[in-house]
Amino acid sequence: MHKVEFDQLGETLFHETLDNGLTVYILPKKGFSKTFATFTTKYGSIDNHFVPQGETEAIKVPDGIAHFLEHKMFEKEAGDVFQEFSKQGASANAFTSFTRTAYLFSATGEIDKNVKTLLDFVQSPYFTEKTVEKEKGIIAQEITMYDDQPDWRLYFGIIENLYKNHPVKIDIAGTVESIQDITAEHLYTCYNTFYHPSNMILFIVGNVDAEQMMTLVKDDQAQKTFAEPAEIERVYPEEPKEVAIKERVLEMSVQKPKVFYGLKPEKLDLIGPEMLKHELAAQLAYELLFGRTSDFYHEAYENDWIDESYSFDYSLESGFGYALIGSDTHKPETFIKEVKHTLQNAVEKWPFGQDDLDRVRRKKIGFFLRALNSPEYIANQFTNYAFNEMNLFDVVPVLEELEVADLQQAFALVSHESQHSVFTIMPSKKDAE
Amino acid sequence: MFETINIAKGVNVHVNETTQFKTINFSIKFKDKLTEEKASARSILANVLQHSNEVYPSHTALRMVLDDLYGTSLYIDSSKRGSEHVVTLNVETVNDQYLSEKGVLEKVLNLMYIVLFKPNFENDLFKESIFIREKHSIVQRIESVFDDKTRYAQQRMMELALPNHPASITSNGTIQAVEAVTNEQLVAEYQEMLTQNEIEIYAVGDVKPEMIASYVREFLHFKDREKAIAVAPMELVKPEQSRVLEHEDMKQGKLHMAFFTPITFRDEKFPVMQLMNGVFGGYAHSKIFVNIREKESMAYYVSSSFASQFGLMFVLAGIDSKLEKKAVSLVLKQLEDVKKGNISDIELDQTKALLINQLKEALDSARGQIEIYDQYMELTESFEPEYMINKWKNVTKEDIAAVAEELSLEMTYFLSGKEDDTNA
Repeated sequence: MHKVEFDQLGETLFHETLDNGLTVYILPKKGFSKTFATFTTKYGSIDNHFVPQGETEAIKVPDGIAHFLEHKMFEKEAGDVFQEFSKQGASANAFTSFTRTAYLFSATGEIDKNVKTLLDFVQSPYFTEKTVEKEKGIIAQEITMYDDQPDWRLYFGIIENLYKNHPVKIDIAGTVESIQDITAEHLYTCYNTFYHPSNMILFIVGNVDAEQMMTLVKDDQAQKTFAEPAEIERVYPEEPKEVAIKERVLEMSVQKPKVFYGLKPEKLDLIGPEMLKHELAAQLAYELLFGRTSDFYHEAYENDWIDESYSFDYSLESGFGYALIGSDTHKPETFIKEVKHTLQNAVEKWPFGQDDLDRVRRKKIGFFLRALNSPEYIANQFTNYAFNEMNLFDVVPVLEELEVADLQQAFALVSHESQHSVFTIMPSKKDAE
Repeated sequence: MFETINIAKGVNVHVNETTQFKTINFSIKFKDKLTEEKASARSILANVLQHSNEVYPSHTALRMVLDDLYGTSLYIDSSKRGSEHVVTLNVETVNDQYLSEKGVLEKVLNLMYIVLFKPNFENDLFKESIFIREKHSIVQRIESVFDDKTRYAQQRMMELALPNHPASITSNGTIQAVEAVTNEQLVAEYQEMLTQNEIEIYAVGDVKPEMIASYVREFLHFKDREKAIAVAPMELVKPEQSRVLEHEDMKQGKLHMAFFTPITFRDEKFPVMQLMNGVFGGYAHSKIFVNIREKESMAYYVSSSFASQFGLMFVLAGIDSKLEKKAVSLVLKQLEDVKKGNISDIELDQTKALLINQLKEALDSARGQIEIYDQYMELTESFEPEYMINKWKNVTKEDIAAVAEELSLEMTYFLSGKEDDTNA
C-alpha cells in the first residue's frame, strides 16, 4: 500500500492497484462520523460505440444505455439492493455522467458490511427481459421529468449546438423511444466490456482505518474471479473545430427568456498534468472575464441584463469540453451582444495583469480548501481527475505556478467566433395570453 | 457540541471548537415574526446589505475584498421556520493554519461589522439605485419558481390549501408586497433587525469560544433587546376545495397531496411521526416508493415529507397525467396499511437506521451542525444526536399506526399539461 502525505492540506492518502487491476484509494478524515464510498467505472453516455469484450467488430448501442444499466445494477434475484443498504443504515445512490457511472453510499456505521455490499452488487450483474421491461416505465418518467425542466433543456440545447458528431450531444438518459430498444443482452455486453475492475476506481473517504479497510477490499477481490484485463476499444467520431449550430430557440413554459452562450475549446486531446494546468488556467480566465468581480458582471447586473440565476462554467474532458455563460434575462439580445463584446475585447487586448491573477488565484485556493471539508467532493472529484490521469491534490501547487500568459493561452483556445453558439428558451406563446 | 456565551440580553454566541474542518464558519441569525410584509422587506434587506456598503460602495469592490481574503464566502439569506422569519449572515473563511498569511480572521470579523453596521446610505436612506435593483432581484426570484414545475405545484397547493397561513407565506414574500416596500420602510426594518430582533451567533471551527465571544463584543455592537414572546402556532383551517386540477404547458403530471396532523415539532409524538413518515414515504425502502415506483413502474420520484413546524405531511410524485386516480388510490392504500399496523420488523429497523444515519451525517458539516442545533434549541438545552436517537429507538409499530390514524387528507392538487383530462 502506498501512502502519500499532503502536508500543506493536512491530508494523507493511501492507495494501491490490486492484482485484478482495480485501483483503490482511501482517505481517512479525522473527526467525521460518516464514511463515503464511491465505486466508479470509466463508462458513461459517450461510450456508445465500442468493441465488446472478446470480439473484434465495433458495435453501436441504443442511446441512454449506460444510465439504464446503472438503474438495473440495483435489482438482483433476491430483491432490491437498496433494502440491504437501508438495513445497514446506509444511504445509497448512483449517477451516470458523460464519462462515468458511479455507485455510492454514505453511512455512519456498519462500514465493513456496507463496503462489501457495494463491491458485491456492482460485481454481480443480474439482468432478465422481465426486469429490463419493468424499468422502462420508470426511466420514461425520469426522462419526462427532465423534459419539463427548462434549465436541463437549455444545457443540453447548447451542447447539441456545439457538437456535430460527438456523442456528448446525446442526452445521458436517452429518449423515451431509444430506451424501448434496450434488452438484457445489451446490458450484459456493456457490463462485460466496461465493468472490469481494471476500468474502475474505488474511493473510500471518512471515518476509516486505512490498513484494515485495504485488507478487507483485497480479501474480497481475491475471492472473486475476473477475466484478464484487456484494453477497451472505444470509437469516437471526428469532430470539426467549429460548432454544429450557431443559434437555436426553443419555446417552453417559462416566465422569461433563458439563454446560454457556449464556446467549444479548440484543443480536446489534453490529458494528465497538461490538462489540469489548462483547465485551471481557463477557469481563472473565465473568472476574470465573467466572475462576480468582472466589469461584465457589474454592467450586466446593474442594468438588469442578468439576475440571480446567472452562471458561468468551464469544463474539460478528454474529447470534449465547453465554456458556458448564461442567465434568465428579459434582454437576451443585449446579453448575447455584451458577452461577444467582452470576448472580443479580450482577444484584441488581454486586460488582466498580475494583481488580477493573484486575486482570483487566492479565491480559487480558498474554494478548494472549503471543498476539502466535503467527503463527497473529494471522492467524486478525485475519481474524475484520476480517470483523466490528474491528481486532485496537485490543484494548489499548479495554481501557485500559473502565470498571466497561461490564462491568456487557455483563453485563446476558445476565442474564435466559429467556436461560439447561442441557445435560447423563450416563453411559449400559449402562456403569453 | 456548542458552548453558549451570553453577550447581551437576547444575543447569544454558540461556538463549536473542532478540528474537523479546514475552515471557520459563522452564522448570525436575526429572528422576527413571519408575515408577508416582513418576509418581503427582509428579503430585499438581505440583498441590499450583501450588495455593497459604505466602505465597499460597489458590488465589485465588496467581492474583490472577499476574493483577497482567500475567497471568503459571505452571503445573506432569508428563510423561515414555522412562524418565524430568519435573516442569516453566513460567512466561511479558510483557517489561517493552511495559509502563509495570518490575521485573516480579524479582517473577516471587521468585514462582518462593515456589512451589518455601515450600509450604503445616501441622505439616511439606502442608495436608491441599489434599493430599486435589489427589489427587482427579489421579484425575479419569486417569479422564477414558475419555471420549476415541482416547486411551483407545491407552492400553488399551499396557497390554495392554507392561504395567509405561515405554511404558505414564502420566505421571500410576494411580488405585490415586495413592490410596495418603500426605502423609508426598509430603513426602519433594518434598524429593527439590528436593535430588536433576537440574535443567535454561531461559530464552528478550530477556534476558542472565549476568543470568538470577545471578537463579537469588539466588532459587533449588539445591545440588549427584549426576548420575543413565543407566538402560538396558527391553527390549520380546512381548505374550501379538496381537489384542484390545473394546467400548464408541460409533459409530466405533478401530483401533490397535503395531509394534516395534530403532531408538530413540539409534540412528544414528534419522533413517532418522523418514523411514520419514513416507513410511509421518506426512503427507497418506503411503502409508496416500493409500490408505486418499483412494483407499478409508474413514477421515477414518489416520496412523502413531514413539515413538523406546521403539522403537515406532503406526498409528491411525477406521473403520467392519465394515472392520477390510480396513483392517489395507491398512496391511500399504503396509508391504510400503516394505519392497520401492517409494518414489518425490517421496515421499522430500516427506517430507524436511516433516520439515525441522516442525523449523524448532517452533523458532519458545519452548516448542518448550526442548523440542527438552532432548530432543537427550543426542545433541549444542549443538543446531542443521542437526544433523538433514544426517542426513536423505543418507537413501536403500534405507536406508528396510532399517529397514522390521526392524519387527514385535506387536499389533492394535480398539475398537468393535458387539457383532455380522462379522469375528471
